[in-house]
This record gives sequence, C-alpha cells and structure tokens, in this order.
Amino acid sequence: MLSFIVRRAAATLMVLLVASFIVYNLTAISGDPLLELRGSRDPDIQFRIDYLTDILDLDVPPPIRYFYWLGGAAGCLIGSCNLGISVSRGEIPVTEALSGAVASTVQLIALATVLSIIVGVAVGMTTALRQYSGYDYTVTFFAFIFYSLPIFWVAVLLKEFGAIQFNRFLAEPVIPTTTAILIALGLAALVTGIVGGGLQTRIRAFVSSLALSGLLILFLNITQWLKYPSIGTVGVVMLTLLAAGVVILLSIGFGMRRGVLIVTGMAAISGAMWLPGQYFFFYVPGALGIFGWIAVMTLIGVAVGLLFGGDGRKEIARAAGTTGFLAGIIMVIDEALQYWDQYIGLIPLQTGFISTIGAVTPSIKRQENMWLDLLDSYAHLILPTAALMIISVAGYTRYSRASLLEVMNQDYIRTARAKGLNERTVVVRHAMRNALLPIATIVPVDITGLIGGAVITEQVFAWNGMGSLFIRGLNAVDVNLVMGYVMVVGLMAVIGNVIADLLYSALDPRIRIS
Amino acid sequence: MKKFRPAAFVAGLSALALTLSGCAPAEELTPTPTASETSTTEEAQLAPLLTVGWNDITDHFNTSTAGGNNVANSLTEYLTSSGFNYYDNGPGLVRNTDFGTYEIVVEEPLTVKYTINDGVVWSDGTAIDGADMLLAWVSTFGYYKNEDGSYVFAHAAPKDNLASKLPTVEGNSITFEYDVQYVDWELQFGVGVSAHGTVMMAYPEITDPAAAKQALIDAVANGDDEWMAGVAEVWNNGYQFANTPDNALAYLSSGPYVLEELVEEQYSTHVINPLYNWGPKPKYERITIRQIADSTAAIQAVDNGEVQIASGQPTADVLALVQALANADYASSEEAAYEHIDLSVNNGGPFDPASYGGDEETALKVRQAFLLSIPRNEIIEKLIKPLNPTAKLRTSVLFVPGSEGYDEAESNYEMYLGTDEENRAKAQELLAEAGVSTPIDVEFWYPEGNVRRQQQVELITLAAGQVGFNIVDESEPNWEFTGNVYPAVNPHDATIFAWAATSLAVSGDDQYLTLEGPSNWTGYDNEVVDGLINELNTAVKKEDQLRIRLAIEAELAKDAYNITIFQFPGLTWWDNSVTGVEPSLLVPYYFWNFWDWTPTAG
Repeated sequence: MLSFIVRRAAATLMVLLVASFIVYNLTAISGDPLLELRGSRDPDIQFRIDYLTDILDLDVPPPIRYFYWLGGAAGCLIGSCNLGISVSRGEIPVTEALSGAVASTVQLIALATVLSIIVGVAVGMTTALRQYSGYDYTVTFFAFIFYSLPIFWVAVLLKEFGAIQFNRFLAEPVIPTTTAILIALGLAALVTGIVGGGLQTRIRAFVSSLALSGLLILFLNITQWLKYPSIGTVGVVMLTLLAAGVVILLSIGFGMRRGVLIVTGMAAISGAMWLPGQYFFFYVPGALGIFGWIAVMTLIGVAVGLLFGGDGRKEIARAAGTTGFLAGIIMVIDEALQYWDQYIGLIPLQTGFISTIGAVTPSIKRQENMWLDLLDSYAHLILPTAALMIISVAGYTRYSRASLLEVMNQDYIRTARAKGLNERTVVVRHAMRNALLPIATIVPVDITGLIGGAVITEQVFAWNGMGSLFIRGLNAVDVNLVMGYVMVVGLMAVIGNVIADLLYSALDPRIRIS
Repeated sequence: MKKFRPAAFVAGLSALALTLSGCAPAEELTPTPTASETSTTEEAQLAPLLTVGWNDITDHFNTSTAGGNNVANSLTEYLTSSGFNYYDNGPGLVRNTDFGTYEIVVEEPLTVKYTINDGVVWSDGTAIDGADMLLAWVSTFGYYKNEDGSYVFAHAAPKDNLASKLPTVEGNSITFEYDVQYVDWELQFGVGVSAHGTVMMAYPEITDPAAAKQALIDAVANGDDEWMAGVAEVWNNGYQFANTPDNALAYLSSGPYVLEELVEEQYSTHVINPLYNWGPKPKYERITIRQIADSTAAIQAVDNGEVQIASGQPTADVLALVQALANADYASSEEAAYEHIDLSVNNGGPFDPASYGGDEETALKVRQAFLLSIPRNEIIEKLIKPLNPTAKLRTSVLFVPGSEGYDEAESNYEMYLGTDEENRAKAQELLAEAGVSTPIDVEFWYPEGNVRRQQQVELITLAAGQVGFNIVDESEPNWEFTGNVYPAVNPHDATIFAWAATSLAVSGDDQYLTLEGPSNWTGYDNEVVDGLINELNTAVKKEDQLRIRLAIEAELAKDAYNITIFQFPGLTWWDNSVTGVEPSLLVPYYFWNFWDWTPTAG
C-alpha cells in the first residue's frame, strides 16, 4: 500500500514536470502579453512595456523562462510556494488567486455533484430494473440528448427561461389550467413507467399519481407557494414521512412491522420537535445551530431505534437515525424559508428571486445573517447546478444502469432469488451494493475533473472560480496564472485517480493494489 | 401486548409535543426585518442601491502604482475620490473647483500652484492638504531612486525628467517648478492616496494624522531617505487587497462614496460618504460594481434586474440581444481605439521613394492612390453601422471626432472625403499621373484571427484591386513587426491596426511620428513634424497647442502618412429604473457622470 502511494507520487511528479514544461511553452508562445499595450498611444506606455518585460522576464526565451518559474514552483515541495504573480489579476501572487478560485469552484460543484450522483444513480437503477420498458427507453433517449447538449447553450437557455421568464411569472404565480394538466399527465406517465407491473397496477398508479399531482399543482396555485415557499409543521411531518418511506424501502423493508412503526414515528417526532427546534435555532446561531440540530435529530432517531428496536435494533436504529438526519435537514430548510419575505424584500430583483450571475447578492451579504445567506446561495446556485446536473446526471444514469444490469445477471442473484428472498431484498441488499462499486470509482475522478472543468458554466453564470481564472489567464497570455491552474488541475486529476484506486481496493476485496 | 408498548410510547410523546407546539407563540422566534436597511431621515431622498456590471473589479487602492494602474481599479478610485479635474464625455477636461484650484504662477520656468479648498477632508475626517500632494509629488516625479537607478516609489510612469526641485508646501497648497516647459502639466499631477494613511500604515506608532503629515513633510525636507523607504514600501504594496482591508486607512475616500465591501472576484460596494460636500452629489446611497466578464451574461443580468447598467464590445449578436431587452435602453457609442492603415515608407516597397529612384513625388502619388482606394464608406456601412448606427468616419490622426479642432483637422484630408467610387476614380488618375505600371503588389499585414479586420481586408482587396493594387496577405497572429524600430524596417508595406488613446494628453505623438520613436513602424520622417513636435512639447498654452497640432496634422495629410477609418464601437445598456447614463470614450467610461444617475420616479 505504502509503496503503491510512493510510486504513484513519484510518477505524479514526473507527469506534472513534463506537462508543466509543455503547457508553459505552449501558453508563452500562444500570444503576446503586451499586445494591448503596443496599440496604445498613452505617452507613458513604453515605461509600462519595459516594466512588464522586466517583472515577467519577457526577454528570456520561454524554455529558459520555464526554469525560473520551476524554481519558484519547486518551493511547493518544501512548503513555500512561489508561483509568481498574475499580471492580469492586479499582480497578486498566483497562489492567492488560486485559493480564492478553488474555494468558489468547490462551492459551485459540491451540490451539483452530490445531487447528480443521487439522481443519476436512482434513475439509472430504476431503468435497469424496468429494462426495455417505455420508461427505460424514454430515459435512455433523454440521457443521450442531455449528454450531447452543449452546455453554453443549455446555460443561456436556463437563464432565459429558468430565471428571467420564471421571475416574471412569479409576479402572478398561477399555473394555467392547460399547463397544469400537461404537467400532471407527464408526471403520471413517469410514475406509471417506474412502477411498472400489470395493466391493473398501471392504471391504478396512473390515476392516483394524476390525482396527486393535480392536487399538488392546485395547492401551489392557491397558496402561491412558488412565490412564498414555506414548509411549516405540517410540511415537516409530511416530508419526514416521505423520507421515512424511502429509507424503509432502501433499508429494512416494509415487512418489519416494529421497524416501520418506529421509522415512520420519526415523522411524528419531527413534528413534535419543530417548536424546540425554533428555540434551538434562536439560541444557537450560526453553522453550529444547523449541524447541532441535524445531529440532535439523528441522535433521537438512533436512540429511539436502540430503545424500542427489539431484536432488529441495530438495523432499525440505523434507519431511524437516517430518517432523523433527513428530518433535521428538512427542518433547517423550514427555518431558512421563514426568512423568505425578508430575503425577497432585500434583493434588487423586481419579481422573483432566481439570480443569473455571481455567487452572492451584495445587499444580502451585508446583513450577515446565515439564513439569508443560505437562501441567497440557493437562489444563485440553482441555475448553474441545474446546468451542471443535466449533463452529469445523464452520465451517471448510463453507468449505474449498466452496472446494475450486469450484477442482476450474476449467479449469486439467482441464488438469492432461489432461496426465497423477496425482490426488494434481492435488489437492495444484494444487487445494489455491488452495482455501486464501479460508480464509487468514477466519482472521485469526476469530482476532481469538475474542479477544473466547469469553465463554460462559470463563464456564463459569471461565477469566478477556476474556469474563469483559466480563461482570464489565457486571454491575457498570463502564463503564471495559467500554470497555477494547470498545477492544481493536474494534481487533482492524479489525486482523483489515486483515490479511485484506493477506494476500489477498499470496497472490493477481490482487488489488491501492489 | 408488550409488543405494542414502544410504539404507543412514541405516539404519546409525539401527540404531547404536537399539542405543546400548537400552544406556544412561535411568532416571537421568526425573524423581523432588521433596521439597518431602512435609511435614516437624512438619507431618505437617496435611492438605496444601484448595481452596475464591469468585466473586473478593483484589487488595488493606489492606482498610481505600476501594479495598480488599470481600469477596474480606476473605477473604484473614481467613485471614492475627488480631484482637480476629470474627463467628461466630450471628451474634454473639466475642472472641479469645488475641490480645489490650480494655476500657473510663473510661466517661465513653468511653476504651478495647487490649492485644495478648506473643509475638503478624507473620509476619516483628516483634512486633505499639502502633505498629501507632497506624497503625490515625490512619487509622480520619481524623486527617490535606488542605487541601481530604479524608483523607490514604484509609480506607473515616474517622470524624473520633468521636475526635480522640491516643492513648497504651505497648509492646503503646494507650489512646484517644472524643469521643462511641459505641455501636459495639467494631466500630470493630482492627489493620490492619503499621506497620513500611508505613513500611519508604515509606522503604526504614529497615531495622530497631523503628526504623520508633519513627519512626512519633515522627512522629505531633511532628506531622511531611509524613513521614506518605509513609506514607499507601503505606498507600493500596502494598498493591494482582494477583499475589504481590515485597516480603514487603506481605502480612505476623498469622493462621494467610500468603499464599504470588496469581495474577491465578485463585487465591490461603495456607500455614500457623509462628509462629502465638494462637488456633484450622487443620488444613490450605494453603488455596487459586479464582476461580469461575459457580455451575454451582462445582458441577461440587466434583463433579470440584478444589474442596472452594463457595457461591452458590441457584436451583431450582442446588439440584437440588447435591442430585444423589453425594459432597457441602450446607447451605441464610440470607444477610444480607432482603426487606421499605416504605410511603410522605408522598406523598399511600393510606398518607398527608393523604389522609384528616390522620386518623392511618384511615391506620394502611389501612397495617395492606395489610401484613396480603401473603401472607407463601405467598411463603415457594412461592418460598423450594424453595431453603431451613428458611426461616422474618423479622418484625423491626432483629433478625436467631436473634440476641439477636429473639423479643421479633417479639412486637411479633403481629397479623401468623397464617395468610394469617386475616390477610386481619383486613385486611378493619380496612378496614371505617377506613370507606374499596375498591378502594384502591396504586402498587407493584419492580425490573424481578428474577424473584423479580416472582413475589412477582404473589402480592401476587392476595392484596391479595381484601382490597380494587388493585396498580398501577410497576416500573422503576432505583431512581430512592432519589434522593428528604426533602423530596422517593417517588412510589411501596409498594416492595419488600432491605436487606443487613453487620455487627452497632447504629448507622446513623437513615439510614432519621429523616426526614432519606439512605435514608429512606418519609417515616417519629416523634419517639419519633428520641429513642430518639439515646439508642442513645451507649448503650455491651450491655443498654442491647438495651432501646432493642426499644423502637424496638415503635414501628415500632405505626406499621405496614413488613413484613419473609424472609432471602435462601444455599447452601453441600462434598465429603465435608472436615467442619466451617458457613455464616454475615455476612462472612466460610462461612470464619468455617476452623480447624474437618477432613479426613475415610481
């Protein structure tokens, strides 16, 4: 293991060395950093040209200048990085520019990645279970479309319809009847496709989901929920119930009566804890309040599970704890939404709230109120996250579908079925876990790739992370800045691969690294 | 029975808690709007906030330094400082006498006196006075030098050849003497960063602003170079911040706004300066500049109401998007850069007299014929008008259209002002008169990859072909010819590119008009022009400057030095909630009259 890491580290160093040499020279010869100055009639321009030539050593040929740069970069190995200064960023040290950019890129991709994995895997696995159904074909069709969509186009359209038009719609947020019917029909068809089964089941699923989504839209229209979203005690209980259902489905199953009672009981507990939660958030401000409350809810779940779980207390405690965790998150969202009116009053938009540029609204950040910041991040992240997700989800869908199909065809699944296990147990306990293995190895590579890869999304949403840093460096022929980017991205790519290797060997005992 | 007990317990507990939560007054814990956003009575007439977009935001509060001298920094500086003068959108230089006055006290040697009005203070309440101007003076005129000849104060363009005698500081005023009769003295000097702030950051043990100012004055007078080196260190590097600095001394304001918040690569917010009463008063309590690099993003941001004003380089797509905005206005405008075609006269090509056995007359006719054959009207109609419907030809090397003297300068180029057809006919006549055999090969350089220039060259190739010139494409991505300063020669016969003027300074033309100028890539050499430029560089009076520059222009026109085509188009758009936005072609661009930005009633 250790020797593996050491060998990989040595290889990484070599790769970075060669890559940096090539990129440095390519960037340096890609243009003239003084181009703009040469076209200026400013009387002082010659002084400026001389100054830049001097601090950037422009009179030294790039292959030799590279070694000047390398001298500073080598300091990173002993903890004193000097990647030079960035002339296109007001001559601040490149390391400083990078730290800000990495942070904001991570902020951008974190939510998108987590959601992509959850949605992508869920959709992919359900399509695998309903292989060759209408649902499967539809998802496959759209996955390929989304996968091949150019993101700059998706992003601009998202801004036009998801932000500008939607915000205008929110002035009078009533979904017209025709649209409502179409949405309800679409949702019903989707649910029917996922549920599958015989004709009778399908009809039942179709009718009930049609009614449910119709009611939901009616609810949205009457309460103007899209304009004034809130959850409230009732909402918290119902959402927790929903979460409990999903958790039970994926863990203990509906057969274990005691477990089902306890886990769904978490919904009642969350309702009961709503008021104490209000006090908690009031007296424990800041991130501590959020994490503290989620921890409290999780612990309650675990405790209830352990106390009343009986024989299956371990499993039940795990399920109840997970439900408690999710309930905690729901209650945090509920708390944030209580600041909604205040938020809407503070942002400069006339109607609506969805933002198209940047990461924060200046007038909100000034308030120094964590809940407003949370809402503000949501309003800013929703579009870029959607843009990134549309493409990542499509990828994860395909991976997880293929992976689950392969596992489902293996002998041990047949054995599991033969010994009389029900289909849910076969899928969730035996197939899904193994099917997740290959996904787990894709994720780190994907994440590290995204850190350098959201170039276009960042540009379109005026999000100033690594992508815009790279573009800016290239446009200005700011070699130091580009090299800083290349170093981070190169390092990330290598680290991502190493983590993937280690993870695979940790998860799958059949694989050994040596 | 035993089996059901836990469930019953949970249910009972929940029911109890639900009942309890129903009774309690939860409203007390839900937030109420804080008072901070509601403005006080005094500021009630100010609109709360205006947000504008720019492709970059400030990261350096000392724009005089080499590192901080860029447009984004100067925008924040413009909002948070006052000066003796500023550029309007004429463009012309406007004096701000509410801030202070300046005058020539002795004409020969040129001695000037700057006086700041009483009651003009930095945002911390300290008076702005002679000490601040002394700090500006030592940095601007490169008074301190290191042993290796470099400047102690890393000014963006130190001018140690202009003034070397220490100024006299008296309270609010400073008087100093120029070593040469310097034509652009009016643009050369102004107040920079605060003296007491710089000193107190360098020497934190000094806590009294007045003492800090005095210490600076004394150190300069007594030649305490070591002490000044500490001040210079802060002056050079102590004003660079990517986020709001902790020390308020680093962003003291002398203008209508004070920096309130700076977030790296996101935005900078400027809040009204309560002490400010010298000069025009703005109508917004806060102005935020948000960083938006992409034009399309800036248009959608205006559409969505996140940003009220933005500007960018127009392309056909960008203009179409802006025109489609339902609730916004826009203004096509001109930018400082202008397109022109230069001819090399010393490279043995068709425009060099040497090619005709030293026959100046023939070479001149060929040059004139070539310049005439350039379809300037067609270029404007086809390439520029779609982006700026009000675009006009620029026909002057030295004068920006609209500025004083432009019309007279243009009249020197009368022969070029006809239609493209007429010009081509004239060109053919000239070639016939010159008696040279056609077609004449013209090695033409333009920057590869620049689509608009490529289109221009296509139009030129067609039009010039009709006259008898064969355009040889010598495009390349890099501007390698710019390395060929006299005595090296530019290998291309004709080049098309843009000069960008960043100020109304009248000096600096020697860089491309005298033979040894660092930007003279045409080999242009005219003794009369050299003499006029020498005269201009010491012509302190406005009317002399105008006369001399017109004389230079006449010489350039006579020599068929080059032809200018158009001013680069610019585009500014703003939503209907604000009025009073007017683009300008010099820095600070559309910010120049930010005090006129007015919220629309209702």
